[in-house]
Amino acid sequence: MKAFMTALGNLFKKPATVCYPFEPTYKPTDYRGLIEHIPELCIWCRRCEIDCLSGAIVFSQDLEGQQTFHYNPYVCIYCGECVAVCPKEGSILQLAENAAPAVKAQNVNNQWAITVDEAVESRKLYMAAKKKATELKKAEDLKKAAEQQQAPPPPPATAAE
Amino acid sequence: MKQQFEIPVGAQHISLLEPLHFKLTTENETIVDADANLYYVHRGIENACTTKFKYRQVPLVVGRVCGLCSVSHGTAASQVIEKLTKVEIPLRAKYLRMLVIELDRIHSHLLCLAHVAENSGFEALFMQTMRDREYAMELLESVCGNRVQYDYSIVGGVNRDLKPEVAKDIKTKLALLLPKVKDLHEVFENNWTLSLKNKGIGAISKEMVMKLNAVGPLARAAGLAVDVRNETEDLLPWKELGFEMITDIAGDVYARNMVRIRELYVSFRIIDNILNGLPEGPIIEISKALPEGEALIRVEAPRGELMHYARGNKSNILERLKIKAPTFSNVGAMVEIFKGNQYASAAAIIASYDPCLSCTAR
Repeated sequence: MKAFMTALGNLFKKPATVCYPFEPTYKPTDYRGLIEHIPELCIWCRRCEIDCLSGAIVFSQDLEGQQTFHYNPYVCIYCGECVAVCPKEGSILQLAENAAPAVKAQNVNNQWAITVDEAVESRKLYMAAKKKATELKKAEDLKKAAEQQQAPPPPPATAAE
Repeated sequence: MKQQFEIPVGAQHISLLEPLHFKLTTENETIVDADANLYYVHRGIENACTTKFKYRQVPLVVGRVCGLCSVSHGTAASQVIEKLTKVEIPLRAKYLRMLVIELDRIHSHLLCLAHVAENSGFEALFMQTMRDREYAMELLESVCGNRVQYDYSIVGGVNRDLKPEVAKDIKTKLALLLPKVKDLHEVFENNWTLSLKNKGIGAISKEMVMKLNAVGPLARAAGLAVDVRNETEDLLPWKELGFEMITDIAGDVYARNMVRIRELYVSFRIIDNILNGLPEGPIIEISKALPEGEALIRVEAPRGELMHYARGNKSNILERLKIKAPTFSNVGAMVEIFKGNQYASAAAIIASYDPCLSCTAR
């Protein structure tokens, strides 16, 4: 009997569906949302990239050594590991917003694979350039030291009387 | 001898939630034999945990084995790695883990009961129960940050702390949910088509359950008092927080559904005790030790006993991880239960079995 009265009452109540996306859904205050990176505080240790479970973070490096943070919100699983392992407080944060739905023009999957490959390649290029620069400098230093040995030593400076 | 037909309750069926396959041999609509085939959704998670992911990431990966008992897998994996690295977690972390395990049990049992109602034709009751289950989902979202993949238990403790306003929210919403569960209990006890006609259907005796090593509500409904929460006091203090073993005698479909409803009341009481007696302290204990040796942990998932085994060799990646799901232990009992029943009861029997194929075929 009680079930019948509940059913009758439900005829006059408003439906329980939430007309998402026209109405907002329930969201608590520390909902796990998008990741935000603050470059001014970052120490570029790349630990977030190493520990990311799904490979949603990658750092690229230009030839001067400046690194850039790339993040794909459609590969991210919002676990919060990057925030947990970052050694510098406040340089990577988890916000409480959702990613906007992706559109075809953004080409999220294939473009991300290309971005990752280019970023890893750019780091390799930077390391190769740095290695070459250090080798050149070493060769120059050796040459300078050899030249100094050949030339006579300068007279010792006399102290002022 | 009558002619025998083999009818599949197939991987795709209108009343099944999970991709399992039973090939039933029937004579004039009475089932005489059954054959189970379960490995439709194998994803290779155990292999991934031993080749690609480091040991600190394993509880997060393993939480994605199942959507219904995600925290049970995460807690079991964290506990097994804590045993390998010899870490003692603080008391507040233990209480918080138990809180999320019990909230998870509430939402999983409500889903099973809603599915039972839907199979019996009560679609409106199914939708009302799912609407009441939304209270539990919103609470899980406030506590853990996500509705389904909680990522709450990590090696050394838990991920987030419980704020006082979230604790108050839990108390208000569960106070709203308890009368709805009582109404559901009343419907299940008094309605013929929903549950009373299933008395005697799909019965199994206590001796068969003990012989076939069944676990979870299926075993408890047949009279076998086996619950992991009764046996693992050293890792999580269940008994001092009001845990009670719920058993029944009949072992049929009606008894299994009633055991699940009565377990809901126990869960409400445990959550109340946890919130009233939550100790202060840190929520995580970090240690730099690498996993070494082997360990075995059991946790009570909503469907029964879940077992994790791990072996480490002092490196960053585990050597072997083995997961045994509760649904897998119950397959032998299910094949036995089908015999002697009508083919038309197959849907009701499978709904009361409450399978979770994501755990079984990882």
